[in-house]
Amino acid sequence: MIKVENLTKSFGELKVLTGVNAHIGKSEVVCVIGPSGSGKSTFLRCLNLLEEPTSGKVWIDGIELTEHVKEINRLRQKMGMVFQQFNLFPHMTVLDNIILSPIRAKGEKKADAVALAKELLAQVGLADKVNEYPNRLSGGQKQRVAIARALAMRPEIMLFDEPTSALDPEMVGEVLEVMKNLAKAGMTMVVVTHEMGFAREVSDRVLFMDSGVIAEEGPPSAIFGNPQNPRTREFLSKVL
Amino acid sequence: MELVTRLTELIYSNLIREDRFRLLFDGLGLTLQITLYALCMGVVIGVVIAVARIMKIKVLSQIAQFYVDIIRGTPIVVQLVIIYYAVLADSSLPKTMVASIAFAINCGAYVSELIRGGILAVDRGQMEAARSLGLSWFQSMRFVVIPQAVKNILPALVNEAIALLKETAIAGYIALDDLTRAGNIIRSVNFDPYTPFLIVAIIYLYCTTTLSVFAGMLERRLRASD
Repeated sequence: MIKVENLTKSFGELKVLTGVNAHIGKSEVVCVIGPSGSGKSTFLRCLNLLEEPTSGKVWIDGIELTEHVKEINRLRQKMGMVFQQFNLFPHMTVLDNIILSPIRAKGEKKADAVALAKELLAQVGLADKVNEYPNRLSGGQKQRVAIARALAMRPEIMLFDEPTSALDPEMVGEVLEVMKNLAKAGMTMVVVTHEMGFAREVSDRVLFMDSGVIAEEGPPSAIFGNPQNPRTREFLSKVL
Repeated sequence: MELVTRLTELIYSNLIREDRFRLLFDGLGLTLQITLYALCMGVVIGVVIAVARIMKIKVLSQIAQFYVDIIRGTPIVVQLVIIYYAVLADSSLPKTMVASIAFAINCGAYVSELIRGGILAVDRGQMEAARSLGLSWFQSMRFVVIPQAVKNILPALVNEAIALLKETAIAGYIALDDLTRAGNIIRSVNFDPYTPFLIVAIIYLYCTTTLSVFAGMLERRLRASD
């Protein structure tokens, strides 16, 4: 589903990714962990070209992105993204947030988009917030709306960029719950996270990133139970 | 008693005699018309220029920068006269339209700076979220970024409208009978140096105050989402 080859990304002199190779299969849930500044978020953002790779290739569903930049708007519709800061559109109601891109980018009929939006809101437990403005929601509610908004494009892949890092502790659970349900439903997911519990419990595979490369990867039982790389061990000893 | 007589006389000579109130009334109509047209066109120009500068397409943003520099660096009276007698001299547009265009070109330069600032002040995550959903750059600008930018700069935009309303007072330079010129005409036929302008001042003040009040209401409505 996703294939990444020799991906590098530099911001001026700063080399953030120095050669990432990865392969993520359909319905696989992959968590990306690692210290701050290791390039996790940049890696994720390269998957939908929010960051343009300096070199290397990214295939989504067999299509190489850097060669299809002109079609990127269409290709991005396959990939939903959820941000640390939610990035809901504050001037629109919850409903309008969700139906904007199905209508504008996909040309769906408004009635269909609204019906789907309501269904998704019910799925994330926010059916009663349809006409609310984002600023009247709690952090956890905002993030669940953001997930519904991404799902409204019926993506095949969901990218999560530290989705719970900006939340108050008591709200982390409700967002992770929604993500777990999504994983169970068979969604292909790439999750950059500091929630080790979630990574251990939900993911099929864990990527440990360090200084711009994937330093170690494997099933959660191996990464958390018997890490091979000394950097992984050091990192885990600090966060667990 | 004498005051009342004097006042009645003033009102009569400035407003009633020869239907002079009509002059002022028509003048006000023209002033408002020019202001409204110029503001609408000016905002459109402003958005286009602001977007051109933000897109960082070199030629486009250099032209935009040049335009803004010229407009901000010269008096509006001079711009109006040049546009009327030189740039649009051969056009068959009605005089009111020419004046509106001149004021719009001026207004657009200031508005573009406002909007540019407003756009840059919108959190980057908004554009990223919109793009990640598959919207194009222009769609993201149109539906997500610009509405927020406009909302942020609305108070400044109303100030701009108020300034514009007052600036149209120079329309007399190209022989348009706007409110100020109407006052001027009454001044000269009455040999009264200031009373007509007192009336004109009150009318302007009434308009600008109304605008401010309206802006306040609009702001409160837009704040519904905060």
